[in-house]
Amino acid sequence: MESINEIKRDVLSAVLAAGKRIDSRGMYDYRKIVVQPGILQNAEGSAMASIGKSQVMVGVKFDIAKPFLDRPKEGVLSTSADLLPLASHLFETGPPSEDAIELARVVDRGIRSSNTIDLESFYLEEEKVLALYVDIYVLDHDGNLIDCSSLAAMSALLSSRMPKIENGSIVRGEYSGKLPLKEHVVTCTFGKIGERMFLDPSLDEEKGMDCRLTLATTSTHLCAAQKGGWGTYSERDITELLDISTEKGKELRAML
Amino acid sequence: MAENRIVMPGELLSEKPERISYAFVDKGKTYSTVVGLFSEGKLVPLEGPYEPLPDDLIVGIISEVKFSGYSVEINAPYVSFLSSREIRERYEMGDAVFARVDRVDEVKNIDIADAKKLPVGRLVKVSSVKIPRIIGKKNSMIDMLKSATACDIYAGRNGYVWIAGKGNQTLAEKAIRMIETQAHTHGLTDRVAVYLKSQQ
Amino acid sequence: MICNSNGDKMGATGKEKPKLYESGRRVDGRGLADLRGIKIESRVLNDADGSAYIEWGKNKILAGVYGPSECIPRHDQSLYRSVIKCRYNMAPFSGMEEHGRSGPSRRSKELSKVIKEAFESVIISENFPKTQIEIFVEVLQSDGGTRCAAVTAAAVALADAGIPMKDLISAVAVCKIDGHMAVDPGKEEDNFGESDMPIAFSPRTGEILLFQMDGLLSREELSEGISLARQASEKIRKIQVEAIAKVYQEPKEERFLVIK
Repeated sequence: MESINEIKRDVLSAVLAAGKRIDSRGMYDYRKIVVQPGILQNAEGSAMASIGKSQVMVGVKFDIAKPFLDRPKEGVLSTSADLLPLASHLFETGPPSEDAIELARVVDRGIRSSNTIDLESFYLEEEKVLALYVDIYVLDHDGNLIDCSSLAAMSALLSSRMPKIENGSIVRGEYSGKLPLKEHVVTCTFGKIGERMFLDPSLDEEKGMDCRLTLATTSTHLCAAQKGGWGTYSERDITELLDISTEKGKELRAML
Repeated sequence: MAENRIVMPGELLSEKPERISYAFVDKGKTYSTVVGLFSEGKLVPLEGPYEPLPDDLIVGIISEVKFSGYSVEINAPYVSFLSSREIRERYEMGDAVFARVDRVDEVKNIDIADAKKLPVGRLVKVSSVKIPRIIGKKNSMIDMLKSATACDIYAGRNGYVWIAGKGNQTLAEKAIRMIETQAHTHGLTDRVAVYLKSQQ
Repeated sequence: MICNSNGDKMGATGKEKPKLYESGRRVDGRGLADLRGIKIESRVLNDADGSAYIEWGKNKILAGVYGPSECIPRHDQSLYRSVIKCRYNMAPFSGMEEHGRSGPSRRSKELSKVIKEAFESVIISENFPKTQIEIFVEVLQSDGGTRCAAVTAAAVALADAGIPMKDLISAVAVCKIDGHMAVDPGKEEDNFGESDMPIAFSPRTGEILLFQMDGLLSREELSEGISLARQASEKIRKIQVEAIAKVYQEPKEERFLVIK
């Protein structure tokens, strides 16, 4: 409801103008983060991450598939996101909403651009490659699902094992080593209201903020970015936030 | 049968048919319908949705401005209506009001009256069954919260608590959450007093 | 046994049917009346009105409840009661075999219906006309018997939400393996047994609220199976009650789903 947003925006603005946040955090502080890797046994990789009260589970599965026509020697990486109806009274059952699709594509972009996974190593033979499915399952929504999902996804990839392949098929339940990863990607999402920017918006903050900026980083590079919402950024805003992301990225990577 | 115990839905409360709130009678025996505390023949639910009753004092949020009044959101799955005739103030969408439930009819249309606009503040939503504990006997708990945090606090029977004023609103919210979580325990008032003191 | 618990396809691995019951022990060492290990945690989600997480064998299932809330769409509304809605869904990473399809399968839709109907008889829905109560069950990891675990977890989630009910119900399946009736089939027993019969009970009255069966059973085997299930459901109820009581014995402000 738009007008309710207007009201929350006024209250939020007032609190932020005083340099504070409604839950007394610092402007660039994360809420409590907990990562649980490798919690499922049927999936080839899995993890749960929580940031504050947001909770996201990610499962990784392998299948044998046909490669894309324009990339015949590469494996397939496919990322999807489910905003489960049990996660929030704001989510409905039905086909993926634009928010779910954006979430999946942003997390995917971070992993893909950074070349975290060597997709060429997934080539098996003519017309046969490994497909890796990263499924983001949002279980509880209290804001900043992007960072929570990226953290869970990276942790799930780190816990993943390569399936054993025999005669061109996967032998389920048997594995041949860990999934090799070249990078550890993390994302930092900042909300903005008026001129104030803040890290890790809670749901209350998301309801009143003008826009958000997500920056995905490896230890050396920016590898993906996404702005969401109707507000605007200056170039200085973006470089400032990149500096903060670089700092915060170390904290996040340490949790993996 | 042991008294003052936690009972489950479907648990036997009495071998006779009794009129107990949140209980039902089946074949001459009385059973609980909820997870609750059963003590001295009275069943108090530990959780549950807000069921509006006439004369409940509630906190509501104006959700729609209509021609002859307002729709007010009161944490119930039913629309409640505040008639313009009943009030002198004018409201806008998103305003918070403190009001009284006037009528609830058979199809759960709800009329509210005696509304008073609340100052700018924040809404804390708690389980409505915990509100009596947040208010306390003779307002003892809510008065303690108000003085320790220097905030204005309005606790609606519907589970909406409105915190306003220049005091420590975040502390008030945290203390309310603490009470909500531990509402069923003993010695809570003392623990809350200790917590409030430690944060000052 | 054509359907395995992970989907509609048979696990066509060309495996020979193993011996399922030998010298008083089943494949995993259990006796005929033994349940697999069951653990339940209540109140694990923050936004849902009620929630519960169950581990049953290797099943990992999460249940969430919303309601009573405004019934949308309006034309679903009843003037006399709350409409009960249920969605049973399996995560694409829940099975050992391939990556699952997106969207509900026919099997998921059928299970959503029978689970909803079990709860329609125990939820006291007349208290909340024109509203809806939504039950969501997500299978995060499947290991045979997911619908019974789903019912068992959903009952705890409904109690957690304070939805008034006539009873705390649960469900358990019985199977026939090498001619013997056994409770709570594991995956192999599901795949290769001679019959599968999931049943949900209201322990207070003994009434049966969910009943399905496939395979071949004699009249005596049917009675024996129901009796085995009934006894097992009493043990399951104890675990549900413990999970609910724990929320109040160890009150926590933060809710986390902890899996390991």
